[in-house]
Amino acid sequence: MDPGVAAQYAFNGLMLGVIYAMVAVGFTLFFGVLDVIQFAHGDVVMAGAFVALATSLALHALGIAVPALVVIVVACAAGLAMALVGALIARYLVLPLRAAPAFNTLLVTLMLGSILRELVRLFYPNGSNPQPFPRLLPTVSKNLGNFTLRLDSVILLVTGIATIVMVNLVVRRTRFGLAIRAVAQDSDTARSMGIDFERVVLVTFAIGSALAGIAGVVYGLYYNEVNFDIGLLLGVIGFSAAVVGGLGSIYGAILGGFLFAALQTIGSVALPVSSAYNNVFAFAVVIILMTWKPTGLIAERPSERA
Amino acid sequence: MRSHIAVAAAAFAVGGVWLWAFLSTDSVWLFASLIVVAVLAFAFFQRFDAAGRYRRALATRPRRAALFAVLAVAGVAGGLRDQAYPLLMLCTVLLFVVACIGLNIQTGYCGIVNFAGAAFFGTGAYTAAVLSAHGVPHLFAIVAGGIVAALVGSLLILPVLRTRGYYAALVTIAFGILFSTFLEVNSALGGPQGLKLPGIDLFGWRFNRDIQLGGASASFYVNYLVLSLALALAAFVFARRVERSWLGLAFDAVRLDETAAATFGIGIARAKIIAFTLGNLLCGISGATYAMMQGFIAPNNFTFGESLILVSIVILGGIGNPLGIVPAALVIIVVPQKLQFIQEYRFLLYGCLVILILLFRPEGLLPRPLRNYFPESSA
Amino acid sequence: MTLAEPVTVADWLLTCRGLTMRFGGVLALDSLDLHVVQGEILGLIGPNGSGKTTFFNVLTGLYRPHAGRVEFAGRDITGHSPQQVCRAGIARTFQRSRLCLPLTVLDNVLIGNHPRLDNGVGFNVFRRRALRHQFDEGVETSRCLLATFNPDLAARLFDAAATLDMIDRRRVEICRALVNAPTLLLLDEPSAGMTHGETRELMDDILQIRASSSALTIVIIEHEMNVIERMTQRCVVLNYGEKIAEGPFRAIASDAAVQEAYLGQAMTT
Repeated sequence: MDPGVAAQYAFNGLMLGVIYAMVAVGFTLFFGVLDVIQFAHGDVVMAGAFVALATSLALHALGIAVPALVVIVVACAAGLAMALVGALIARYLVLPLRAAPAFNTLLVTLMLGSILRELVRLFYPNGSNPQPFPRLLPTVSKNLGNFTLRLDSVILLVTGIATIVMVNLVVRRTRFGLAIRAVAQDSDTARSMGIDFERVVLVTFAIGSALAGIAGVVYGLYYNEVNFDIGLLLGVIGFSAAVVGGLGSIYGAILGGFLFAALQTIGSVALPVSSAYNNVFAFAVVIILMTWKPTGLIAERPSERA
Repeated sequence: MRSHIAVAAAAFAVGGVWLWAFLSTDSVWLFASLIVVAVLAFAFFQRFDAAGRYRRALATRPRRAALFAVLAVAGVAGGLRDQAYPLLMLCTVLLFVVACIGLNIQTGYCGIVNFAGAAFFGTGAYTAAVLSAHGVPHLFAIVAGGIVAALVGSLLILPVLRTRGYYAALVTIAFGILFSTFLEVNSALGGPQGLKLPGIDLFGWRFNRDIQLGGASASFYVNYLVLSLALALAAFVFARRVERSWLGLAFDAVRLDETAAATFGIGIARAKIIAFTLGNLLCGISGATYAMMQGFIAPNNFTFGESLILVSIVILGGIGNPLGIVPAALVIIVVPQKLQFIQEYRFLLYGCLVILILLFRPEGLLPRPLRNYFPESSA
Repeated sequence: MTLAEPVTVADWLLTCRGLTMRFGGVLALDSLDLHVVQGEILGLIGPNGSGKTTFFNVLTGLYRPHAGRVEFAGRDITGHSPQQVCRAGIARTFQRSRLCLPLTVLDNVLIGNHPRLDNGVGFNVFRRRALRHQFDEGVETSRCLLATFNPDLAARLFDAAATLDMIDRRRVEICRALVNAPTLLLLDEPSAGMTHGETRELMDDILQIRASSSALTIVIIEHEMNVIERMTQRCVVLNYGEKIAEGPFRAIASDAAVQEAYLGQAMTT
């Protein structure tokens, strides 16, 4: 294979990996802190992308066109809006159901994802069709043989990695991060030590969902298109990535995200079938990996005690 | 006791009239009023347990209850005999009831999470399509639909056994999406355009021909109604017997506490395999029948969204209770069809409905009662 | 069966040699040697975390030991699955109540009878009359068992287990373990949370059951020393997964090592 083409595939894979990693980190944070899988998380990414889209259109309509400003405002809007959505989900759907069987929370968040999809499809203008996402980043590019290195892609890559690193820093190095880890390890003891359990949960959901919102912006800026049903694929793969890396481990989630992206990229290159089968392949990989290592590649849960 | 049964029979008759009006009316006001009446009646009976005596009396005579149900539906069919669309809706409801009874065996009894119900329903449909296109007798095609669905299920059996809870949900969701995506990109099975099917021809009786008996005529959908009703009744009796048996007890034990179940000799894998297979069998059979009734199927009939509809029906009806599936299916399938203005929003509404149920009444419309192995003898 | 008669290895129903169980870095069972004599009631005691419940879990196949052998009734059952151990004739109760609360009392007891019940799809769906026969038998057996413990309980056969108080739930768990006529019964802290009167009643009932089925051998984990003293012929004391003492209760109660395990190091005078 031509090195330029290979480099293009590799770069695409890297970008995909960053997006998956951002989604996976959210899943792993939620599970760590509340033992819950928020199945609507992928659709939160989608909602973030649409908030970003709407914001950029609004800014455009208002005549604000300074590129750097627009990007920052759009990203902040998506992040903050999704942070709020995440906190609301935690407050009104997840926390009230934490005494109920896990199946109920599972269903509630699944249905929520469906609701988010439908809200966008029905109420966003022309929502059932793919929406072009504006190019808000500089479109400078450099040709290296067959490989086109776009400046905006590099910016997105760096941004994605930077946000993941930032979240990791918050969790590992701040006092609040310490509270998150305490609750994740043993919520009863954490409570008795004076940690406000509910506040930690709400903020964790806010952080994870904000990260998802930014992931949505990255997605939109990279693929230049968003659609109301991208959340399902992202959610399934993001969750799988988090599981494969070991639920509760941020490093594992990041690893899982890149692993899936690598598998998908290799699959689309190596398999002699049309690219339409890409998604089929991705989901088949999910099923196989989950069957082989239901508790993740890294963390092995101890067997159940009677 | 006789008087109790008589009252129960009268109740079925009233229910039949209600159902006939529910399905045939074109007036939005009447339809809404019927819903309000049903809700009020439901609330009344729940609150005051007014029907307790009659319900218990009926429970000791399951054959009588089945007869009443069949007569009521037959009466409704008679009333609807020349209205194709309401009949089609009723058939659809009954076939979805069969599929949901299958899902209920998996999830409600054995605790297996399955978000790919539509995939197995679709497997039955596509099997029937392929077989009937090659001239295979239709009864066989329908049964084969169930068997192929069970076989496809066996592909998933290893993931289902090795995963639990969230992981199992993930695996079945992935499979469900994989299924519809595969159908869409694979042109051998019709691709996104789908496949056509002939109407059912059962031992020479062609279903797709309007019935002429003496001077009266009836829509050909009455044929499908008879078949759907028979399937629904069979599925219901089957599920009831499974539940009220040692097998059902093993399922419950596996669902509630695998460790304890294993300690007392219950084979966890065996129970799950049986439950999963039985459920998929029912999904496949109902899917095959549905396909032949519709005459046309496409990949976007069997997406993840449709799987969520099936799960919603099971949850709304009351998880673990096949009886609740009937009113739940009526609500979820008929209401959006009748109130066309909400048809577009139905997924949104289903989602909200299920969330509300899970938050405020997770046991559903008809909560599952305690196991009564042989109610006929507790009179 | 009294202690006066000499006990030979041939009378040993259960033999464990070198049983080792690790959880990550924690050694829960440390090369444990333990035997149970046919027909005796053996007490298994030790401070919290000494490996008693872990021992039960390894025995009943919930955990696979890292080393060692378990022999039961002349057969090697090391590493067997819980289902196989059940069929071999070992039944147990759990420290944390493991009843299926949404199910009826009858359902819970009959779960214990699973090996004797026909589980095939064909039998259960189509041969209803034969099922009815097994059902009637099951009801009768459960009623008798429950009545031994509490006649009122037998009347509540068709109530949900969730409606029972803790002591009745404990009784149902024991009946569930007994309904299949096991050879060896493992009781994990049966008296936890009970008053002295309730404990004595429960132990009376257990002794009554054992009297009517002389083949029943019992191992009982307890923290309540009165129970151990009254019920058992012999005790094994565990600490940190090792056996530190063995013998009749009177003897081990005054054992210095045992006292240290429970109470900590003696203060120097």
